[in-house]
Amino acid sequence: MRVVIAEDDALLREGLALILRSEGMEVVAAVEDGELFLTAVEEHHPDVAVLDVRMPPTHTDEGIRAAVAARRSIPDLPVLVLSAYVEQAFATDLLGAGARGIGYMLKERVGRVSAFVSALSRVVDGGTVIDPEVVSQLFARQQGADRLKTLTPRERDVLAVMAEGLGNSAIAERLCVTGNAVHKHIRSIFDKLDLPPDHESDRRVAAVLRYLEGT
Amino acid sequence: MADQPTAGRSKAIRRLKWAMRAFGQLTWGMGTGLLALITFVLGIAVAISSLVGVGILLIRPWLVLLRAVADLERSRLTNQGYEVISPYEQLPQRLRDCLEVVRTDQTTQRDLMWLPVHATWGLIASFFGFQAGINVLREISFPLWWHLLPADEATTLNGLIRVNDWSGAAFSVALGVVWLAVFLFLNPAIVQATAAPGLRLLTAHPDVDLTARIAQLTTTRAAALDAHAVELRRIERALHDGAQNRLVGVAMLTGAAQEALRRDSDSAEAMMEQAHAAAEQALAELRSVVRGILPPILEDRGLAGALNALASSCAVECSVDVDVPVRCPASVESTAYFAAAEALTNISKHSGAYRATLTVRRSQGSLLVVVDDDGRGGAKMDAGSGLAGISRRVAAHDGRTEIQSPVGGPTRIEVELPCGL
Repeated sequence: MRVVIAEDDALLREGLALILRSEGMEVVAAVEDGELFLTAVEEHHPDVAVLDVRMPPTHTDEGIRAAVAARRSIPDLPVLVLSAYVEQAFATDLLGAGARGIGYMLKERVGRVSAFVSALSRVVDGGTVIDPEVVSQLFARQQGADRLKTLTPRERDVLAVMAEGLGNSAIAERLCVTGNAVHKHIRSIFDKLDLPPDHESDRRVAAVLRYLEGT
Repeated sequence: MADQPTAGRSKAIRRLKWAMRAFGQLTWGMGTGLLALITFVLGIAVAISSLVGVGILLIRPWLVLLRAVADLERSRLTNQGYEVISPYEQLPQRLRDCLEVVRTDQTTQRDLMWLPVHATWGLIASFFGFQAGINVLREISFPLWWHLLPADEATTLNGLIRVNDWSGAAFSVALGVVWLAVFLFLNPAIVQATAAPGLRLLTAHPDVDLTARIAQLTTTRAAALDAHAVELRRIERALHDGAQNRLVGVAMLTGAAQEALRRDSDSAEAMMEQAHAAAEQALAELRSVVRGILPPILEDRGLAGALNALASSCAVECSVDVDVPVRCPASVESTAYFAAAEALTNISKHSGAYRATLTVRRSQGSLLVVVDDDGRGGAKMDAGSGLAGISRRVAAHDGRTEIQSPVGGPTRIEVELPCGL
């Protein structure tokens, strides 16, 4: 698997490359800002891009903008955005132009190498991976979300794990319930969020999006 | 029925309290009146000597004195419940500008009109009220002690009447009762009368309005908020790009080392080593961030100790002279400290100086920090420079920063920070 990395901190850039290489991936480019990232992506057409949110010159949301721009030039390029802190607004920006193959995670999750690598592969397979921190932020703020308020606490848990891009059986394992129960919860979530029966995986993504937009 | 005498007594007590308050006010008024008289006489001396030239140098110090006296009277009036706000703008440094203030500034001109009135009428009326209070005690108690005095030396009514017998003593008591009436009923009116000129002349002129002063305060307040925001951003950036990233590095490297341990322990050891170094860097970054917020040494040893430590670690030989008897607010001290630190950094980096001196004084409610060096000069307050940052921080305190640094040197940086009275 070929990866492009964008991260302005040299230690973290090297560390990330080290981890990905030791997991058998090929780091074709490791750059330090958004513009170099776009050039590298155009040049290498990687299988996945991993990038930091705050990079030079302004140290604000360069990574988000670079990710959106990269996906405009290479549609469906899987992108995993890492950040020292998560901001729900960034997640919404990122997912605005389609949620397939998008990940948004806290940087320190990289330390849990196997979980990180599996999240990365879910993104490569077109999944959506949202950090649980974004999810808890959303509920902590109690914003808007009339429809979200109708969800039971258990259904919220299921939705949060679903946002991490996990499948039914993984959700069941994480929450220590049966696969059947998970199935029932998900059905109920789809109903409450008013998502028409369509393609199953699209509905999951839509549910997560609803969730992020807080509608 | 029973509470009628009580009501009468409470009325009497109220009257007495009122009279005591008036007495206090008049004593205070006598003080400001005396100061006004001294200032007035000095003012005439300055005016006359200005005609031959020398006195011009004294105009600014005299204006400072005038303002201090007027402000004392303002606080007396405020104490009476009128709330008279000090309407001054900062006095200019240059002589010619000070003359301009005397000639055109409405507030100053009103001060000048108030001064002779308070030095005469205010002083005399206050003194009359003051001695009325004293005489009540003296003359009512007169029969108790007059015979103890040597013959021919016992007098009453401020020494005007000589008392030789008991009828004289009785007369004195009668006088004391009159003084008591003055003390109780006339003094409050005198207080009103002595306050009147101040209330008319020491308040801001309706034309002056306080618009200018308000505008200035608004600006400095905005600067304070701005400096505050800049400061927060600096701290956030320092934490985010420094300590936080180092700690993410630690998490990342230990995770990678864990993975590596399963394969070969050699590379794991190298990673642990790197992780350890990153953790130490994180700690160092945190220390520097903490120091940047409020230097711990300032808390521990006060401004003088902190500045001495600063000077002793300066590459250029630096003598420190701090004479600040009482501590200033923490934010003022830390701004003074950072200003001195920035100035010394500049000196060791750019000035080529051999010697530097750091002087700190406290006068008239402000803290003055002066840094001199014998270097090559040419220091400027360019945007983005450390000096500009200091000046912003100082402006946030309503203070001023002045840099005199002709090319070829020497350089003097002056920072003045108001720190309350």
